Amino acid sequence: MRKKLSAALAVSLAGATLAGLLTGCSGSGGAESVRLMVWSPSEDQSKDSGEWLQTCCEKFAEMHPEWDITFVYGVADEAGAAGTVSQDAEASADVFMFANDTLTTLTDAGALAKFGGKYADEIRATNSENLVDSLTLDDYVYGVPFTTNTWFMYYDKSVFTEEDVKSLDAMLEKGVVSFPFTNSWYLPAFYFGNGCTLFGDGTQEELGANFGGEAGAEVTDYLIDLYNNPNFVVDADGSGMAGLRDGSINAIFTGSWDAASIQEILGDNMGVAALPTYTLNGEQKQMYAYAGSKAIGVNSNTEYPVQAVELAIYLGSAEAQQLHYELRNVIPCNTTLLADPAIAGDPLVAAQNDTFDRTSVLQPFVAAMSNCWTPVENMGKGIRNGTITHDNAAEQTEAMNDAMNSDGIS
Amino acid sequence: MFPVLWVVLTSFRGEKGSYVSTFFPKTYTLDNYAKLFTDTTLLNFPQMFMNTLIIAIFSCLLSSFFVLSASFCLSRLRFRLRKPYMNMAMILGLFPGFMSMVAVYFILKAVGLTEGNNVRIALILCYSGGAALGFQIIKGFFDTMPKELDEAALLDGCTRWQIFTKITLPLSKPIIIYQILTSFTAPWVDFIFAKVICRANADQYTVAIGLWRMLEKEYIDNWYTSFAAGAVLISIPIAILFLKLQKYYVNGMAGAVKG
Repeated sequence: MRKKLSAALAVSLAGATLAGLLTGCSGSGGAESVRLMVWSPSEDQSKDSGEWLQTCCEKFAEMHPEWDITFVYGVADEAGAAGTVSQDAEASADVFMFANDTLTTLTDAGALAKFGGKYADEIRATNSENLVDSLTLDDYVYGVPFTTNTWFMYYDKSVFTEEDVKSLDAMLEKGVVSFPFTNSWYLPAFYFGNGCTLFGDGTQEELGANFGGEAGAEVTDYLIDLYNNPNFVVDADGSGMAGLRDGSINAIFTGSWDAASIQEILGDNMGVAALPTYTLNGEQKQMYAYAGSKAIGVNSNTEYPVQAVELAIYLGSAEAQQLHYELRNVIPCNTTLLADPAIAGDPLVAAQNDTFDRTSVLQPFVAAMSNCWTPVENMGKGIRNGTITHDNAAEQTEAMNDAMNSDGIS
Repeated sequence: MFPVLWVVLTSFRGEKGSYVSTFFPKTYTLDNYAKLFTDTTLLNFPQMFMNTLIIAIFSCLLSSFFVLSASFCLSRLRFRLRKPYMNMAMILGLFPGFMSMVAVYFILKAVGLTEGNNVRIALILCYSGGAALGFQIIKGFFDTMPKELDEAALLDGCTRWQIFTKITLPLSKPIIIYQILTSFTAPWVDFIFAKVICRANADQYTVAIGLWRMLEKEYIDNWYTSFAAGAVLISIPIAILFLKLQKYYVNGMAGAVKG
């Protein structure tokens, strides 16, 4: 019995390998046959939003008659792609999209190919320096950026004027402002405003977080007052959006992903702007958002590196970005496209790019960054709960800074 | 009760968005359900539902067969590896199943079950493969059945298989029902294995992954109420099965042969 079983197992295994070999060998004569697996968020492949990915891939195939390309599409959004790819890089897509804060996850898994030579030159030539920096590690470029990723401010134009939205304190006098106070992707904006830094310029891991000291304590004091302002509401679990919908809130802070919903709520009154300043001890301090990028990456395990890199470059090209913008409102980052008045005139594009250029810091992707999220979140929650007060603000800020500089083990 | 009521109410809520200030919705609508079945280009709920249903039916049949057979063997037969097997099952049972998740993934990949429609087979294997280790309850039930029944059947010329199918199974309906219910529910509530094995194959997603995706930051504002509707819908097949089998289920706790 046992013998029979193992024989059956051996036969079925052999069958499986044979089947694998057979499918690997099929192909047509003439053009080189290429099989490219491409992953993108499902919106890029959905019929309702114009099948951006399929359209672009077919165009790419037309441009390259020398290759007979079969595309295999899969779904993985930019934020989650790193996890899926690093799980098993060999069986992952040849070309995929990722958010730049997951860059180290991907390079640690050995899953991301470097762009060199003319490809790197092309990426540098068509994108702003900040943007390319967000995808550069040890002087190598690891992806083709196709959009920036940050948050900014949406406001109701019937409540605030364009002059008001330059200062948070002016806004708080005229209407209700909601801010994701307990979310550590948003809260550091105030600390950066007062000269606090994270890992030097964002890449110097050895410098650590510098959120403490007098500068940090001043911000904490400001945040306590802000929280107690009757015109300020904490945005958590979608309450900001709900408030905008029923009219109890006039301005919120979020990113381009909520643009369509806010457009529906506010209509012509929708205003978009880069981050305002806030008044600290009589001085105007600029808020700074975390900024990153979304990019197209090539799997270093791909069987067809040339084709995969060419496709990645094409998907990040001006032509593809333009189509992406038209179909899905994905904000382009190509410098020539941004100079186009039709695109530059869109307030959403203007606000996002203004934020990226002027009121943001590059979100660090050094490994130690993972220690920085929870302490900041706890700061926000502590202020909300009332455990952090003016009396212990300095001490609590120092504790937050210590926690950010420690991995909790050593 | 209240959380369940809240989910049901939310599934009929007319206002959009994920945050509400009132317990009862201000307006009621069926659109959330309609959206699940009509707006399929982004998140194909009907397909996820069918995927899960198929997986649930097959893994329920397979794992019931596995676990009943294993329990019968351990309860009625005496063989050399019986004790070692039971000890091994006991020890393996101490570890959470998803500890082996990555290994399971690579084994399935090696036999080519992680791409295309094979993902369904992979998931069925995943949910039913470990069933034979969970024999304790059913073995306990079989142990309560008098040995004399088997001996009488043997004397009448039954084979072991015939004893299993003709004597033991008909007497153990309640515990079979219990097994069917638990193994049918597993694929509906499992997220972690489905996520690891489906990866980027969106057409193979189960409802658990679909519902999770509805809560991602890009979707949550539009899909939150439909998420609640989906949660209500997946409880329907489980509820139907439960109601149909309930009368046996209650009997199950009373033992096999009375008197």
